[in-house]
Amino acid sequence: MSYNVLVVDDEPVVGELFTDLLKKEDCAVQSVLSGEEALDIIKKENFDIVLLDIKLPDINGLEVLKKMKEAKPNLIVIMITGFGYDEDLIAKSWDYGCSGYIGKNMPIAQIMSNFRLFVKAAKEKKE
Amino acid sequence: MGVRFPSPAWKIERQTMETFGQETDKVFCRLLENADVFALYLDVRGRIILFNKKIENIVSEKRENILGKNWLNVLFHDNNEVIKQQMFKAVIDDSITYKRPNNFEGLIIDRNNIQHLIFWNISPILNASGALDGILLIGNDTTALKEREESFKKIDGTLKNIFSSIKEYALYVTNLDGNITYYGMGSEIMFGWQKSDIIFKHVSMLHLQEDVRFKLPLILEQVNRSGQYEMEIDLLKSNGQPFPVILNVSQFLDAEGKPIGYIFIAKDITERKKLEYQIFQAEKLAAIGQLAAGMGHEINNPLFVISGRVEMLFERKKLERKLREDLEVISTQAERIRKLVDRMLKFSRSVPPKLESININDVIDSVLPLLSYHKLHTSKIDIKKDLVKKIPPIKGDLNQLQEVFLNLFINAYQSMPEGGRLTIKTDNFQNLYAQIWISDTGCGIPQQNLKNMFMPFFSTKKDGTGLGLSICYNIIKNHNGSIEVESQVNKGTTFRIKLPFA
Repeated sequence: MSYNVLVVDDEPVVGELFTDLLKKEDCAVQSVLSGEEALDIIKKENFDIVLLDIKLPDINGLEVLKKMKEAKPNLIVIMITGFGYDEDLIAKSWDYGCSGYIGKNMPIAQIMSNFRLFVKAAKEKKE
Repeated sequence: MGVRFPSPAWKIERQTMETFGQETDKVFCRLLENADVFALYLDVRGRIILFNKKIENIVSEKRENILGKNWLNVLFHDNNEVIKQQMFKAVIDDSITYKRPNNFEGLIIDRNNIQHLIFWNISPILNASGALDGILLIGNDTTALKEREESFKKIDGTLKNIFSSIKEYALYVTNLDGNITYYGMGSEIMFGWQKSDIIFKHVSMLHLQEDVRFKLPLILEQVNRSGQYEMEIDLLKSNGQPFPVILNVSQFLDAEGKPIGYIFIAKDITERKKLEYQIFQAEKLAAIGQLAAGMGHEINNPLFVISGRVEMLFERKKLERKLREDLEVISTQAERIRKLVDRMLKFSRSVPPKLESININDVIDSVLPLLSYHKLHTSKIDIKKDLVKKIPPIKGDLNQLQEVFLNLFINAYQSMPEGGRLTIKTDNFQNLYAQIWISDTGCGIPQQNLKNMFMPFFSTKKDGTGLGLSICYNIIKNHNGSIEVESQVNKGTTFRIKLPFA
């Protein structure tokens, strides 16, 4: 699995951890700390997958998702939630075209396996 | 009109009177003639020899026919009241025979067919030589009095009915020493003691032992000072169970205003207390839920980073043994926090259940196999299912209800480490709601812990988060149902859940 992945989370330590975890999966990873930066960078560079925190300090994660899908409809966006149980936000994310969500409350192994599952499902959907 | 005295006996008597006496007699006769009483004088054979205007007005006989007639035939012109007549006759005969006064109360029907209740004073009149001259009957019409008395009785009866209809109050009275002299109105229902068990016993038997020494004397002292006192207090039922009441104690005064005892009025407020507690509980849960949601989010980020980093360290090939052991401790403890936060967030989520028609028995059946995943010692525990066969569907969210039952079953298992029996019973309550009982024969819950059972973070288990039951509570509440618990230490615990039918 070698993808270009963008991690969007306002906490650097979280972004760094995701970067390290994904590198182990042979992904090329970049991370940014805000919604604005994220929307900027996807226009300049090519990403296969975005891991997007649902709660961002500048622009709401849902808004970022909406704009990303408008700009790049083929982009696979997976939401990261701190809650894991905020069904309302999750339901909206699906409406806006996300490919799945992982909760920071899940065990690490589950986070990574869910990540792979969502990517696989998204790829299959496209084909 | 004067008094008629056609009797020779009367004449003889009068002739023997002196002038002064005769004058007095005349005045007396005139007074009697016009007095508002029935006056009748009979000879020793019961014949009327004297009567006044009131008698004349009441009987149907003509005036000239009254004299010399037997009193019975005059006063009772129909034969309906034979027994009364005979009784009256017996009384008069008694006065004639034994020359002693008597009283009699009887009904007389006047010529307009109106009943009069008359209270008769029967006096034997003796002549100078002590022989019986005749019988004087003076009658008072007590009809109106009687009617008033009857209406009082009616009011009294109505009051009694009112009092006995009020079930949640108990009224009892003691003397000044505190011995119960009256035990009425709802007392038997409230306390469970029969009147015969408790009358003349000391009121302290209705009070908690610790109250008898201090609270009760203080209450009575206060009543002595200010006339009455009211407070919330626990009283005792005959089975020893305490229950909360509002107790009003007043001085019991006699007609002169002298205190002769105490009047106790107790109102059972068990239900109100329960409701208050539920409201209090719900408010507290809501507040904690909000707090948990905010906190959970804040904890998840750093925790995710800690766990993630530990996982990555584990994957290093050459890891010193001691370092690996330390990492394992960090990992286990981080996992503990993760689980806690996870439950906390589950608890705080305010997602309403997706209510669909489901059979409660199916929900229970679907949960039982899940128990095997929870490392429980299933071999020692005997599961008894007593599920009612035909039961209407309830409105429920399958996943949420599964969580409730799983939680309760696991709790039951954990309370029976030496084995025991888990009983699951369902029942249709009047087509209104399903009742589910989950009982174990385990260690039970001490009384003081029972009311905190559904509080978040309340746990008596070594490694419990104290969220399981509060999640159950929230889920059932969101289903418009209720969950209650009863428990006895070393005997077991029973949860009762009610869920409304679809």
